[in-house]
Amino acid sequence: MSFYMLCKVLFSRKVVTGLLLLQLAMTLALLLNSILLAQQTHQQLSQPTGLDLDNILLVQLKPTTASLRVYPALEDLLNRQLDAVQAIPGVIAAAYSNQSPIAQGGNNGNIFVVEQQERTNVPSVPMYFVSKDFFKVLGSQVLQGELPQHSVSLDAPGTPDVVLTQSLAQKLFGSASAPGQQVSRGRVAAVISDFYGQRSGSHVMYNNMQVAPPYGVDWGYSILLRSQPQHTAAVRQQLDSALRNVEPNIEIYNIRTLAEQHQRLYRNEYGLATLLALLSGLMLLVTMVSSYSSTHFHALKRQQEIGIKRALGASKKIIFIELLTENWLCTALGSVLGVFLALLLNHALAQVISIPALSGYLPLVAITVLLLCVTVATWYPATIATRVSPATATKAL
Amino acid sequence: MEQFIYYLKVSFKGIKRAPLPYALTIFILSVGLGVFFANATFYYQLNRDPLPQKSDKLFFPMLNLVPYECSTDCKTPSVLSYNNVEKLSQTDIPTQAAAMYSADGYLRQSADQAPLPVSIRITQRDFFSLFDVPVLHGSIWPDNSARHEVILTKSSAEKLFGRTNVIGEKLLLDDRNVTVAAVLDTWQMLPRLYDANNRNHLSDADDIYLPLETGYDMNYLSNSQSQTFDDTDYRQLSTQGRTGALHQLQYWVQLDTPAQQQRYWQFMANLVQDEKAAGRHPSAPNNQLVAMRNIVSYFGGESSDIKAFALVTLLFLLVCLFNASHLSLNRYLSNQYEFSLRRALGANRSQLQLQMLADVLLMAIFTIIGALITGFAGIKLMNQLLPANSLFSNWDLPLLLSLLAIAFVCSYLVTLYPSLRASFGTLNQQLKE
Repeated sequence: MSFYMLCKVLFSRKVVTGLLLLQLAMTLALLLNSILLAQQTHQQLSQPTGLDLDNILLVQLKPTTASLRVYPALEDLLNRQLDAVQAIPGVIAAAYSNQSPIAQGGNNGNIFVVEQQERTNVPSVPMYFVSKDFFKVLGSQVLQGELPQHSVSLDAPGTPDVVLTQSLAQKLFGSASAPGQQVSRGRVAAVISDFYGQRSGSHVMYNNMQVAPPYGVDWGYSILLRSQPQHTAAVRQQLDSALRNVEPNIEIYNIRTLAEQHQRLYRNEYGLATLLALLSGLMLLVTMVSSYSSTHFHALKRQQEIGIKRALGASKKIIFIELLTENWLCTALGSVLGVFLALLLNHALAQVISIPALSGYLPLVAITVLLLCVTVATWYPATIATRVSPATATKAL
Repeated sequence: MEQFIYYLKVSFKGIKRAPLPYALTIFILSVGLGVFFANATFYYQLNRDPLPQKSDKLFFPMLNLVPYECSTDCKTPSVLSYNNVEKLSQTDIPTQAAAMYSADGYLRQSADQAPLPVSIRITQRDFFSLFDVPVLHGSIWPDNSARHEVILTKSSAEKLFGRTNVIGEKLLLDDRNVTVAAVLDTWQMLPRLYDANNRNHLSDADDIYLPLETGYDMNYLSNSQSQTFDDTDYRQLSTQGRTGALHQLQYWVQLDTPAQQQRYWQFMANLVQDEKAAGRHPSAPNNQLVAMRNIVSYFGGESSDIKAFALVTLLFLLVCLFNASHLSLNRYLSNQYEFSLRRALGANRSQLQLQMLADVLLMAIFTIIGALITGFAGIKLMNQLLPANSLFSNWDLPLLLSLLAIAFVCSYLVTLYPSLRASFGTLNQQLKE
């Protein structure tokens, strides 16, 4: 059948075709934007963190009695807890920190090179007060200088030396060497490889550490430990009792791997992408139902026409391809409209959420998926239509 | 009535004749409406006004009183220092005013008991009248001075003592003795607009209430947002925290009339001008007086995921409506001969339309049942995937009635065009087909 005839057949039922075209267009628009959002979430979840996410365990906790939250009792508690955790078989290293990496926000502030505040000020840089094995737990590489070997109290005269991540050191000092330089938080002792700090910070890889007990633990604190891969699950199981044996007056908020922490950080994006994917699946299902019923109904209405064609020599295959082609044409037209709708929807969504712009090969992928679904949906009614016997179909003539 | 029952019987016969297309129509409409219901529930609950009688009279003042001259990011801090609040309190223009913040603590009856982790709202006396908090037993603090007296919520009292009338009972709050001054009745302000910083408006109500001065004396730090703009040691909250630039307080004032609002605005402008003149706060004035109903958008805390999903579910509902109309049209066109025969035998168009209304009624009933089931499942799923909004997943009567009305309108729209088409065609032609 010619293209002209196909169009004529399609548009002989204007309302039905119009409704189908709109559905196809909207389905494609939603499908495209869901794919975009899913891609973005996947990228966020798979961006490098600089951390061995599966083998680093994070415990977030807080003493439940006020007397344990002040020094020297607090320092004693921290050391006893570290000793107990390190004694668990399979633990490679353990450290405490005032806050955990891979977080939404937390303790942060601005940092700048002394006497160059105007030019070098970086706001919202996480401040970690940690024990000396923190870097060993994270698996950080020392790129410049030497790591501080002793914990220095923040209340002691002078300030403890500062360790910066590579990205932050580059931001502050460019290509110049950082160790020995003075920043607003103290003298730079070393530069280590990047790791994911706070999502709401200036940059997720900007981090600043000082080997010192935390100022206070009113917001709780973290114990981080690296375990041998084969022992991670066993270590995790023993952590709660090991910590409570040391001191029962504690509240353990959670024990999780950094991989779980990372997943939780992007939970909203993951949730929305999942919801949109489910909705796209439902939309495809609805479109398939629509294509099925449309083909089925019109094949029934056109029984006589099909019978005559068959009597005049058209094979079953030709009738079958003709019916499929009608749907393909409809899908193609709907897809053109759908790409425009997808652009509009993308623009509307970008007003409320972060979503990349529509571009590249994605429309082609989405159109292929849509075409495949429509083909599957119309296959059965088209097959049934080809079974119309010429004699039956033409006996009323 | 008899006639109506007849129409219903005819509708049932129509369904039995072709159950699959009918079931598909109901399925598609139910899914579309169910998904829409689920999201509409969150959207409605998140955007509702929890205090419609006074939300236009409650304001959140913010001042740019910081000890440095900002050059790049001159946004007014969203929390105030103790010192700022003291200055803002030096006027009787507001009908009521209360400063507040929240902290975490541990509560127990005696030292040998296991501690109960609690969220503490550290605030002033007017908090309870500002936000219409009901008191079940006892009375609110008589003034804003420091006192070791806590106010418990009903559920906290029940959790600790197993009863609600616990006035005068002693407790240990982080190892310090406090007395119960009052117990609140069941109360939950959703969204919790009095604490909109950092999207805290999505959280549940706090467990206990402590006077602001006592909170500072006990060195409770904000568990939500605190900023230090000078060398203040935040561990010395009771001393340095009261004088330094440690910002952690939210402040609400009730300004009943536009004249009051104008006077308060002028008071804020004069205050900042005086501070600048005294050389204490060099930054440019940037005062804010945000009404309660605008506070979430001011802090950028609107649930963008729900908004985005709302847009998409609306689109999905449209697709389902088109699809159901499409299926319905096919079904009616298949039954056109029957319609035409009735017309030929003397049935007028209004009678055919009444028949159509019986169809709509049946379809609406089935659709509403399906939509409610789908909506319920959708809400459960959304609570799993977007748990931050889980407090906003309840159906109330106005919401339910609106949703039912929407379901009925959709069922009517889906049936309207097909039935008109079936009953308004050329009779001769239709009978020949």
